[in-house]
This record gives sequence, C-alpha cells and structure tokens, in this order.
Amino acid sequence: MREPTFLILAALADQPRHGYGIIQEVAALSANRVTMLPGTLYTALDRLAAQGLVVRDREEIADGRLRRYYRLTSGGLAVLDVETARLRSLATAAERKLRTARPRPA
Amino acid sequence: MSRMRGTLARRYRRLLLCYPRQYRRAHGEEIVTTFLDLAPSDRTRPTVREAANLVRHGLRCRLGRPNSRSVVLWAALTAIVWGLFTGAFATRLAWETARPLPTNAEATQLFSGMLGQDVTGKVGVDPALFVIYGQPLGMRNLHLLFSPDAGEYQQGLAGVSLNGPSNVDHHDLLNSTRAWLRVHGWRVSDVVIRNSVECTSCDESTLPKQALFAARRGDDVLNLEISLGNLQPPPPKPGLTTYDQTYASIDLTRANPSTVYPFGAAGVLLGTAFGWFTFGWASRRTDGRAPLLRAVTKVLFGVAIFLWCAPIALAFPATLTHHLNEPHPSWHPMWEWLGQPALAALFVAGTGAALLALAASALPRRSEPATDMRSTT
Repeated sequence: MREPTFLILAALADQPRHGYGIIQEVAALSANRVTMLPGTLYTALDRLAAQGLVVRDREEIADGRLRRYYRLTSGGLAVLDVETARLRSLATAAERKLRTARPRPA
Repeated sequence: MSRMRGTLARRYRRLLLCYPRQYRRAHGEEIVTTFLDLAPSDRTRPTVREAANLVRHGLRCRLGRPNSRSVVLWAALTAIVWGLFTGAFATRLAWETARPLPTNAEATQLFSGMLGQDVTGKVGVDPALFVIYGQPLGMRNLHLLFSPDAGEYQQGLAGVSLNGPSNVDHHDLLNSTRAWLRVHGWRVSDVVIRNSVECTSCDESTLPKQALFAARRGDDVLNLEISLGNLQPPPPKPGLTTYDQTYASIDLTRANPSTVYPFGAAGVLLGTAFGWFTFGWASRRTDGRAPLLRAVTKVLFGVAIFLWCAPIALAFPATLTHHLNEPHPSWHPMWEWLGQPALAALFVAGTGAALLALAASALPRRSEPATDMRSTT
C-alpha cells in the first residue's frame, strides 16, 4: 500500500469526512509532508470504493457548495488495521537495529 | 469576492473537461468545491500544479486507466509519433498535385537564359517528381525503400552542370546570373560562400571557394552553386587535356505544393487520434491480465516506440542543421525530417512490433472480472 492510500484510510478512521476534510487530515497526519490535490484524492477514493474499503456516507450543501462525505467500511478498517500492524512491526524492527547500531552511552 | 470565486470555479470547470463527461457528472462539483476550499481568497486562476493534476488525472480517466501513472505519457508519445508519420504520409499524397518538372527543352531555354550561354545537350531532367536512382518508384524498385539505399529516394530535378575551363570570370557569372534572375521575377536569396573542399589542417585562405544561393518563382525552386576558383585550373593529371571539374551547377525542383499544408494538418490530426485511441484500447485490454502477457506487450511496445523514435532523433537535428546552413526557399519534404524513407526499415520493424503487441492485447480474456479490484499501479 502506498503512503497516500494509507493516509486517506487513516484520515477516515475516526469519522466520515468530505474531500477538503480528508486533504486537511492527511496533511496533519503527515506533518504537512503530503499535500494531496483533489484530482489525486478522488482517483484514490474511486479506487478504494471499487475495492470496497470506502463508501459514500452522506451529502450536504453548505454555503451553496456540495459536501460529499466518505467513510471507511468494515473491510477498510480491517485493511487499515493490518497495514498499521505491518508498519508498526517494521518500525519496531528498525528501532531495534538502530539501538544496536547506536548503543546508549553508559 | 464572490465574483473572483466564480471566475476561479469557472476555470477549474474548464480544466475538468479533461475528464470524461460521465466522470464530470459524478464528481465534477465536489472536485471544484474541494479546490475552492483549498484556494486562498485572493486566487483568481488555478496554479500550474493544480492544472497539471487535473489534466493528468482527467486524461488517465479518459484512457480508462485512472490508476496508471505512466499511461498518459506513453499514449501521448504514441499519438505524437503516429501524428508525425501520418502527417508525413499525407504530405506525400499532396505532392501528387504538384506540377510536373519542365521538359528538357523548357529547362534548356531557362538555364541558357540565366547563364548567358547555350547549354543545349547539357541538361538532364528526371522522369518524376520523386526518383530513386533516377527512376520513379514502382513495383520494380520498391524493395529499395527497405534497403540501405532507401536514402536515394529524393526529389526529382532538372539540372545542368558546366565543366572544365571557363572563359567567363566566375564572379561575373555569379553577378550576371543573380541579376538575370531578379529581372525575370525570381526571389533570390543571399549568397553563402563555403569551401569547395573539406580540409581541417589547411590554411583557410588558400582553399578554393564556391558560392551557393537559391531562388524561387512560383513553384519553381533553383539551387545554384558557382565555383569562385581558378578560371583555367590545371588538369588533374599531367597529359590530360579534358577534365570534368564543375564550375557551375543549377538544380530546378518543385516547391511544396500548397495542398501539402491542409493534407499534412489533417494527417497529423488523424494520426494523433489513431495513436491515442489505439494505445488506450490496448492498455485497457492488457490491464489486469496475466503477468506474462503484460510483460510481452510492454516489451513489444517499447521496441516499437524505440524503432519509431530513433529515425526522428537521428534525422531531425541533421535536417535542421542542413536547413539553417544553406538557403532554402522551400522546406524539405516532411518525411525527410522524420528520417524517411532513409530509415524506413526501422519504421516498418517498429510497426511490426506494435502490431504484435496489439494482437497480444486482443487475445480474449479467460473471464471478465465482476468488479474493478485493480491494485494501485
């Protein structure tokens, strides 16, 4: 799974969000390292919807603008869970290696 | 403020035209809304990054491969190459509307007038507007187009050469010829002086020179070379009394007929569309197929693109340099800029590889997937 896909799933983990909300949350989760544009976001959302990981939640009109909210499906939550565990395991292994390479001063 | 937002929204919607209509109906408004949410209040037009983002994803969507990162690049390359080659082929068709070369008698009269001397018996006229080894292209010599001699396919010409010792000063001949041409309504280019022989280690001032210039009247194009060397050069070998050192030569060819431009433009458009849609079709056909089939089509397509682009990469800079270094009242035919037919064998081999890739793409699927479960490419 690519990092932007993981971040989109993570952004939707706690609550449904519309496009702008997802982009903001992705930026926050990545400490502004990943700035997604709408063309990229909606292509990714289409793909995730086709894979059954994301689904439309509801639509709202705010200030004359269409807000379409998306949420994770149970399958999406499961995939995010697995991917998070995989990344955590990798990070733990890498930390172990780093501790070996740079032992704490006595 | 709201008028500025309206203008910005209109510009985003214009960029959304890169997407297919069905996609715009489904997602257009929410994409524009998200862009507007992201934009600072004083922005009036999309940034370059935003425009590129919409164009890239829109074209991917139009090609039916929204998740492919490279499909637009390869489709565009195929479209450009096919546009150029189809355009070149169309210009060759347009050349069929050009006026034939003058008869030998007409050319003799013209050359005698401009050179101020009778050139009867010295004039040669090719039998067609394009010839290979002096002969029109036909079934008998078609095989030459796919041989190393394919570069001999060139514009036919009416020509004359003056040889041997001359009684006329070459500078006078140059000036009188140019004056005659101007008086008779020809548009005459500036003179380019260059060395008659290549010699990198020689003293430049001692090398014999020749003058080159071109002239055009209607669809007649003249290329003239007049030697500025010794009027009575010594024979190349002691004891020889005759020798064939040329001191003046004139070629008359036809200029591009005006039909070349609409034909070329139509050919480029048709070829571009053909390349774009054919690549898109093949790409969709191979998406999600067996890894072996995808690998085979990718390799075949890569070979095709290389064999199509190599002649262009070789010929275009060389033709451009030649074009800039000598007077050219008329452009060289479009196919020469693409290395055709000198490197036609490469083009044919590339087309063969592309046809094999298309045939592999057309193989029937074992079963159609019920839903789109493509992974990110």
